[in-house]
Amino acid sequence: MAALNTTVAPTGTPPDRGVRAGRRPALRRDGRYASIFLAPSLVGLALFTLFPTAMALGISLFDWPVFGDRAFRGFGNYSHLLHDPVFRRVVLNTVLFVVLYVPLNVIVSLGLAVWLGPQIRGRQVFRVLFFIPVMTPMVANVMVWRLLFQPGGLIDGGLQSWFGIDAPNFLGSSNWAMPAIVAMSIWQGFGYNFLVFSAAIDQVPQSQLESAQIDGAGPLQRFRYITWPMITPSMFFATTLTLITSFQVFAQPFILTQGGPGVATQTIVMYVYNQGWQFLQMGLASAAGWVLFVIIMGITAIQFVGQKRWVNYDI
Amino acid sequence: MKATPVRARRWATATLSVLALTAVAACGGGNSGGSSSSGSADKADLTWSFWIAGTEDQAAWQKVADQAHTDHSGITVKLQGAPWDSYWSKIGTTLAGGKSPCIVGMQSLRLASYAGAMMPLDDLMKKYGMKAEDFDKPIMDGLKVDGKQIAIPYDSGPMVIFYNKDMFKAAGVPDPKPGWTMDEFKAAAKKLTAAGKSGLVTTPGDLGVTSWVRTMTGAEPLADGKLNFTDPKFQQGFSQYADFVRTDKIAPQVPGGNPDFETQQFTGGKAAMQLNGPWSLIDTKGKVKFDLGIAPIPAGPDGSKTYTAGSGFGIARSCKTPDAAFQAIMSMTSVKPLTTLAEAGRAYPSRTVAHPAWFTAAGIDGAKETIDYASEHSIPLVTSKNWVQVADLLNRFGTQALNGEIPPDQALKTIQDQAGAGS
Repeated sequence: MAALNTTVAPTGTPPDRGVRAGRRPALRRDGRYASIFLAPSLVGLALFTLFPTAMALGISLFDWPVFGDRAFRGFGNYSHLLHDPVFRRVVLNTVLFVVLYVPLNVIVSLGLAVWLGPQIRGRQVFRVLFFIPVMTPMVANVMVWRLLFQPGGLIDGGLQSWFGIDAPNFLGSSNWAMPAIVAMSIWQGFGYNFLVFSAAIDQVPQSQLESAQIDGAGPLQRFRYITWPMITPSMFFATTLTLITSFQVFAQPFILTQGGPGVATQTIVMYVYNQGWQFLQMGLASAAGWVLFVIIMGITAIQFVGQKRWVNYDI
Repeated sequence: MKATPVRARRWATATLSVLALTAVAACGGGNSGGSSSSGSADKADLTWSFWIAGTEDQAAWQKVADQAHTDHSGITVKLQGAPWDSYWSKIGTTLAGGKSPCIVGMQSLRLASYAGAMMPLDDLMKKYGMKAEDFDKPIMDGLKVDGKQIAIPYDSGPMVIFYNKDMFKAAGVPDPKPGWTMDEFKAAAKKLTAAGKSGLVTTPGDLGVTSWVRTMTGAEPLADGKLNFTDPKFQQGFSQYADFVRTDKIAPQVPGGNPDFETQQFTGGKAAMQLNGPWSLIDTKGKVKFDLGIAPIPAGPDGSKTYTAGSGFGIARSCKTPDAAFQAIMSMTSVKPLTTLAEAGRAYPSRTVAHPAWFTAAGIDGAKETIDYASEHSIPLVTSKNWVQVADLLNRFGTQALNGEIPPDQALKTIQDQAGAGS
């Protein structure tokens, strides 16, 4: 979002047309056209985002079973969530996933993007290879990883036949399930950020890097003082989006472990899905949804405020 | 960017029109799912909502639907299929909103959750002369809520042991016979557990867990319709069941969240036994490369005890032509379509008359003896309103209990704490 805000040229009429009197009608006309063009997406936004969001807030204040009578509960659902050990664990799981996944994803994708610099031969092939997991359907990816992870699966079978030892029960053990999901998610997701970083690194002028090299700057210094400042906008874009999507993680735990064992890998979105569509408790599901919404809003806001300190747009 | 009055008005207009549109769309949206029928007792176009797995499934069930039209020329039944998982999330909202199709597919384990939105069929059964005794009793009872018949079954089945005859032969273990005991079962499973293979494979699914617990201690999951997992007898049975994996080590560790793990291990020849329902028998036989046998669940101190589950068709309360819908259901569960389904190797039919056709299609020695024996020793698994949640929790915490991560009692207590109040 930030990248869009900052890189798109200023809209509207050019700053100086010379004839002041002619500006107002033109502006008004532009505004009218703009509203016409914006209307469809505004209607879409209102229908499919704002209305459901507001509706969910309303529902979250009720005991709202799909079957049976509804009753106003005020903040009862929220207080239930606050006191429910399962929901607290679910929030913790989500935060744990984010804390493990986001830095690792950025390190892997940035590391590979730097490594696969313009000087590497065959980098296009690597780019395509790394992007394949992003393009293949998540369900197919997860199925393959499940065959790797499960008892008697590829990892377990391999260890048994080569070394005669059992692999951990990755998806059935509370200690291993979350790392297994994070590993699978990084493999599946790093390709996207890799492309973003790769494109940003390509934009860094070779002349500057070369002159720094002539002045005696080593590879680390060149990265620290030239490449890094220039790719910070992409970095901001990538971390913000990755954070938001990783808070919303659903498919990987849903298919790999169904949130188990116990609730060791259940995430907030899974909790919302289960409460709403499996147990048919819409009130509780909406309340949990709003908790997630507020968490994501808060963290995104902090990121936007914090970007002033480290993101550099003066290129 | 100060808002001038003109701009403010424009914004207000825009916002209002968006809101108006939203309201119109919200009201309009309600109609789309509604397909209640129109017509009289003998003439109606009905829609039937049911779970289907693919095009082949669709074709097989459409034939069942067509039986209604064959029997009653004025009635047509249109099949509206959805995959299993999305079927249940969809049917919940349509039933609750009064927009459900007239005829609704219903599984016995989930009946309690949806019964409030479905029509009791007892009067219609009497009116049209449908006899309950033509069907397997356990499943007929399994589709009742508070003594009222909510759905008419098309399939049925008691939980039984599927076993790999080749593995039994290779290990020198005699084939199990009806009446075999828990000790005999454990001895066999221990002998069969060797060289990376196991005697049994199990996951904490609701039907499996409750059947094992029932045969071991006789305890049932509900008492007076309420969840009763902290009953000492239930705890004892569950603990013995968890010991299969924990201490006896006759079954492998359970991976989280793979509902197909049992079937994969068994059909892949990695486990010699699994507990399963007859609805999977013919399908399993087609998948495996070994000689498949079935046996009743081993007998605990009070004999072999198991649970029956099955599915059928009911009528939504919102249906405007219940008479036509009931006549359609009568046709759909009549001898002819059930025999056709049985011959095609589908689920074990609910009607006793159709059983021989199914046993012929199955072609498994001793299948009739085993299923008849198991059926006699089974009762329907009656569930609570929030059973979907109970089953979900059982899967989660049961996995931990089986793998020895938490004590079985603690798993049951957590489930009781989470789901007990809502049952």
